Amino acid sequence: MKSINKYLIITLLLGFVVLPEMKAQDDLQINRVFEQYGEMKGVVMVELTGEMLGGHDLSFFKSITIKNNPSAADFIRKCLAKDEAGAKKVKQVVANGIPTSIFLQLPRKEQLNRLILFNETLKPEPKITLIYIESKNDSEDVLKLILKKK
Amino acid sequence: MKIRMKHTINSIEADRLIEKYYEGMTTVEEEKRLQDFLSRPGLPERYRPEQAIFGYFFQKKQKKDFSIFPYIRWASVAALIVFTVFSLKTLTTQNQTNYAFVDGERITDIQEVKSQAMSSLRNISSDNDEVDEGLKNLNGNKLMEQQLDVFSGLE
Repeated sequence: MKSINKYLIITLLLGFVVLPEMKAQDDLQINRVFEQYGEMKGVVMVELTGEMLGGHDLSFFKSITIKNNPSAADFIRKCLAKDEAGAKKVKQVVANGIPTSIFLQLPRKEQLNRLILFNETLKPEPKITLIYIESKNDSEDVLKLILKKK
Repeated sequence: MKIRMKHTINSIEADRLIEKYYEGMTTVEEEKRLQDFLSRPGLPERYRPEQAIFGYFFQKKQKKDFSIFPYIRWASVAALIVFTVFSLKTLTTQNQTNYAFVDGERITDIQEVKSQAMSSLRNISSDNDEVDEGLKNLNGNKLMEQQLDVFSGLE
């Protein structure tokens, strides 16, 4: 019984350390995309915290670009289908019945506005881009500023 | 003045008491005297089994004193573990704040990381006003009017 109490105390203390480390995007399925594909060949993954990007102050920015991997695109779409729950769809482009571009405005969490941007292109080469953004500024302002015309 | 002498038994008496003990006929006083006899140093080997038996029961009867030190020791071990885990997490998190992985290779140069981020944003940017239209629909202010306007010209 004494041993159980000791292990319980240690476990509770460790819990108090681990729980605060959880981030606002840990509840999202797209997190699995970054974990699974982030360090693979043919993939570029970026994570920025508290940096200015494109003249805009973003609390958190995470993106992944995957080339020549159709299964990754399917996996991302499945993750987005789950993360869509409760989100507002700003844009969706469907080609041949398959969504190739999805912009989602997620419910706010801890005073942060959250966005997910997904795009798939086939030319000149198959390429998938997935971006997750957190910002204290309005989502509309963030979208308008960062999505500049080519 | 009465001087009370502690009655100590000899080996003959001890053998008799041991036999009586195994028969379950000893009194508490007799068991105590037998225990005192068996706790003497230098006893013959033949008393080893009885010494073991009485030694076990003697330990069991001893009352353990409560001590807070074992709990303090465990609390200090737990605090050390927490401190170590927290320190490691803080150090590693700081190192992972701004980074990029390109083909599995980690980059920490902030300018290079930002450049990669801007590149990913360019992949997303649209050529038309779909985003503006989407945002307007999101507000939903004039959505119904727009949709009904489609039918207004039909007669």
